[in-house]
Amino acid sequence: MIVAVLILILSTALFFFYFQVTCQKILGRQFDREYFQSIANANRLEFPSLRKSLEDFGAPVDYSRLRMMLRCDFLALTYLLKNAANVNQRYTYDERLLILYFRWQFLSLAVRRLLKLGENTAILRLTAVLQYFANVVGQRVNAVKFGNLTAADYLLNL
Amino acid sequence: MDNSIASYVLQYAGSSLEAGLLLYLGWGRQCKKQRAVFFGLFALLIAGAGRDYTAYQFGLRSPQYFYVYWSTDYLLVISAFLLVWLFFRRACLCEEKMWRYIRLSLGFIFFLVVGISVLSISRNQDHLFTYFTIEFNQNLYFTCLVLNTLLYLLLQQIESTDDQLGLLVCGVGIQFAGPTATLALLHLTSGQHFAESLATSVMRLCTLGMLLVWAYAIVRVRESTIKVTGRRIGEPALLEVTAD
Repeated sequence: MIVAVLILILSTALFFFYFQVTCQKILGRQFDREYFQSIANANRLEFPSLRKSLEDFGAPVDYSRLRMMLRCDFLALTYLLKNAANVNQRYTYDERLLILYFRWQFLSLAVRRLLKLGENTAILRLTAVLQYFANVVGQRVNAVKFGNLTAADYLLNL
Repeated sequence: MDNSIASYVLQYAGSSLEAGLLLYLGWGRQCKKQRAVFFGLFALLIAGAGRDYTAYQFGLRSPQYFYVYWSTDYLLVISAFLLVWLFFRRACLCEEKMWRYIRLSLGFIFFLVVGISVLSISRNQDHLFTYFTIEFNQNLYFTCLVLNTLLYLLLQQIESTDDQLGLLVCGVGIQFAGPTATLALLHLTSGQHFAESLATSVMRLCTLGMLLVWAYAIVRVRESTIKVTGRRIGEPALLEVTAD
């Protein structure tokens, strides 16, 4: 009985551990250059400044605004992931996994806030997911050419 | 009804992915390089085919299906152990001394689990087949899970550069952790209906999760390695970018 309870608790914990590690390994994918900044600028996304403020000053802006910023960036980026320069008009399975991971971290952020455990780790994880999404979108957009110009060059020349 | 439809969808999605990955490995002649993955996929596919055939011939509630289901579960759990063994081998390719020690330990652990399971059934001889199977599978799954975690830690310790192996190990971790938890729940609830249906769904979901992670590791991680090594200095990055 005790052994079974122990196995249940440990294996559930390990399940979440492996889920998190898998997502972080996917997030660790190297891009040939950083595309996220141009995507963030073009779409007025706020996660880079949020991340910077967290890294520089250690404290984010107020909580309700923070949630709103993350949620808006997430919605914008998932829309772009699906529709910007995506021939199939659907998410890949790793993107789906990361969307699930984002939602889980978002929930974890609320729980951490409630239990006063410190939210910075969860916020950094959330911004990492958003940065990855922005990089993927940027990479896709960069691959599309308009004549001799890439989409990014075209937008910069407007 | 909805539950069973979802369960069938998960099952057939898993089987299609297994077959697809096996074909991909065979087509790309990677069977030798990825023998652990190939072996794991092959075992899953054979067990699934055996179960489907028995269900089709004799029905889901027949005793034949019951015995085939639990017998293939034995095979699956033993193949899971062998899979971890093969991953350890891959991780220790350049560490022969360490591998000799690990090989001995793995053999010892396997017989220890068999011994513990046999001891525990001596107290429950009325439901010999079911009890032993659940007990043995739960123990061995949990052992595989612990070994897999040790393997993950070993990879961190030796600072392995094999990113693909890291992801494959994570996939296996997901596959082991879910079923172990649900088997333990099944054990605690003495095989109640809700735990049984939960166990079936979670096992299929975890298998599908593992297959997706494996697919990502084999297709994407290999591709990115080729791209990085194939790139020349000064060449524009745009040339090597492909739409995902």
